[in-house]
Amino acid sequence: MADVMTESEADVAVVGGGPAGLHAALVLARGGLSVVLLDESDTLGGQYYKRRAEQLTAAFGDFRPRGTELIRQVRDSGVDCRTGTLVWGAEDGGRTLFTSDVRTGALGRINTRATLVATGAYERSLPFPGWTLPGVVTPGFALHLATMDRVPVGQRVVLAGTGPFLLPVACALLEVGARIEALVELNHPYRPGISSIGGALRQPARLAEAARYLLTLARHGVRVEQGSRVLAAHGDTQVTAVDIGHEDGGVWQLETDALCVGFGFRPSTELPRLLGCDTELDPTGTEQLPVVDADGATSVDGLYVAGDCAGIAGVHAAGVRGQLAAHAILRRLAPERARVRVADLRRRRARALDRFAELADRLYPLPTTADIPDATQVCRCEGVSAGEIREAAATGWNDLHGTKAATRAGMGPCQGRECGHIVAALAGRGEGTAECFAARMPIRPLPMAATIEGQEVQ
Amino acid sequence: MSTNSLPQTVTVTIDGTPGQAWAGQSVTAALVSAGIWPLRRNPVNGQLRGPFCGMGVCLECEVTINGRPGSRSCTAHVTDGMDIRTHTEPLQTAAHG
Repeated sequence: MADVMTESEADVAVVGGGPAGLHAALVLARGGLSVVLLDESDTLGGQYYKRRAEQLTAAFGDFRPRGTELIRQVRDSGVDCRTGTLVWGAEDGGRTLFTSDVRTGALGRINTRATLVATGAYERSLPFPGWTLPGVVTPGFALHLATMDRVPVGQRVVLAGTGPFLLPVACALLEVGARIEALVELNHPYRPGISSIGGALRQPARLAEAARYLLTLARHGVRVEQGSRVLAAHGDTQVTAVDIGHEDGGVWQLETDALCVGFGFRPSTELPRLLGCDTELDPTGTEQLPVVDADGATSVDGLYVAGDCAGIAGVHAAGVRGQLAAHAILRRLAPERARVRVADLRRRRARALDRFAELADRLYPLPTTADIPDATQVCRCEGVSAGEIREAAATGWNDLHGTKAATRAGMGPCQGRECGHIVAALAGRGEGTAECFAARMPIRPLPMAATIEGQEVQ
Repeated sequence: MSTNSLPQTVTVTIDGTPGQAWAGQSVTAALVSAGIWPLRRNPVNGQLRGPFCGMGVCLECEVTINGRPGSRSCTAHVTDGMDIRTHTEPLQTAAHG
């Protein structure tokens, strides 16, 4: 395969063009280093600074002008921006990256002196009966439809799960004319009676943004049910109704044409784990995170991690962490140009943002996986139920990896990104022992036909 | 936020039926706007599936776009004359069992 790869060189590769990667690339390029910025998507921005298509921007305006400006600065600074390029493997502590062109499948190899992983996060889903029905989606999907495409995900939407993210999604849905039947929050982060004026969070000073969203919901008369969750979704070819259960035992049913359920975010850590960096349990006790110092340096020399893939902390923390990692890389590769005082200030800001993230973890704890019914599908791709996973894990000789081999859970095209944390919890040996599926090449699905064609051309 | 005229409308064909969508919209958005949620069958158990994550991770939204099967509709953008095919017909054989 190596014969058909296009080779290139750079001082630094940044993997992921979201807030962390963009901020890092800018600092690195302005510091005089050659930088390659890689992103699988066809535009830069990641999820938070995702670009509205040109034609839609012309009609509806720029969705997040700060992102537009940041991307312009990065391009102007001379960063080699390669969109539509996925990184499917790496070697040598990340100094060799294997890439594939998303459109053509053409393979590439990039040799660097240091690599920063800023691959962000994806949404955390928890399985319930009916969660594979068409019309059951993640809140992030509903948000993208509303903001990028100006399309309401449904006319009668139910939003459920836990976390502050449900609030901006609800507001975006209202803006495109969707009716929200209920916002179903597992925990009790908001004061009772938020439909009255002055309703806000228990920590209004720290979460003022969330309080503003809550006021918008109150103005629209959106029903907010705390201490409640989705028990099951119903429908024949797509979702038509959902059962909601309250912690006091009450159960009621809502008609819906779109059910959005999410439990926060999971860090996308495949690349640093593939390269063998040390990991530790995250604050939720459900994920293995790369161990990093204050600048994002991992245990693997020359490999840095920044943004949500180093621990979920949101867009502002991602930007600061990206800059911190970039300054650390500058000190390493171009010590004469590194600006130490700037990095000190950034570090203080990063600590403040981390405390904010810890607060969110306390307000929105995750539910236990113990009560997922045996019949519920956990692995969507391979159609493996919770009962099958429990049975395989109970044989005594199966750890997580044995359970995967025995049941095929996690072996489908999403590579365990949707179910991995659940399979790990169900196959786990107790609290605080979360394992995760091993990261293996290719860490993203590759178009095999295109790869083979590439070889034949040679 | 500036609100000029609405975006340019183009023709897309979904399962042989022509319809309208905004150029640049995600293909998933065009499908959801048309009320089409089931896009494919899970190859293992034959269940109907539709878009789920919206960011290219779950691969549940794969359709055939302009003859290219296995195209993620959530990361593809609508262009004029685009041909979109869903695959919801019952499976002849399941991969396992």
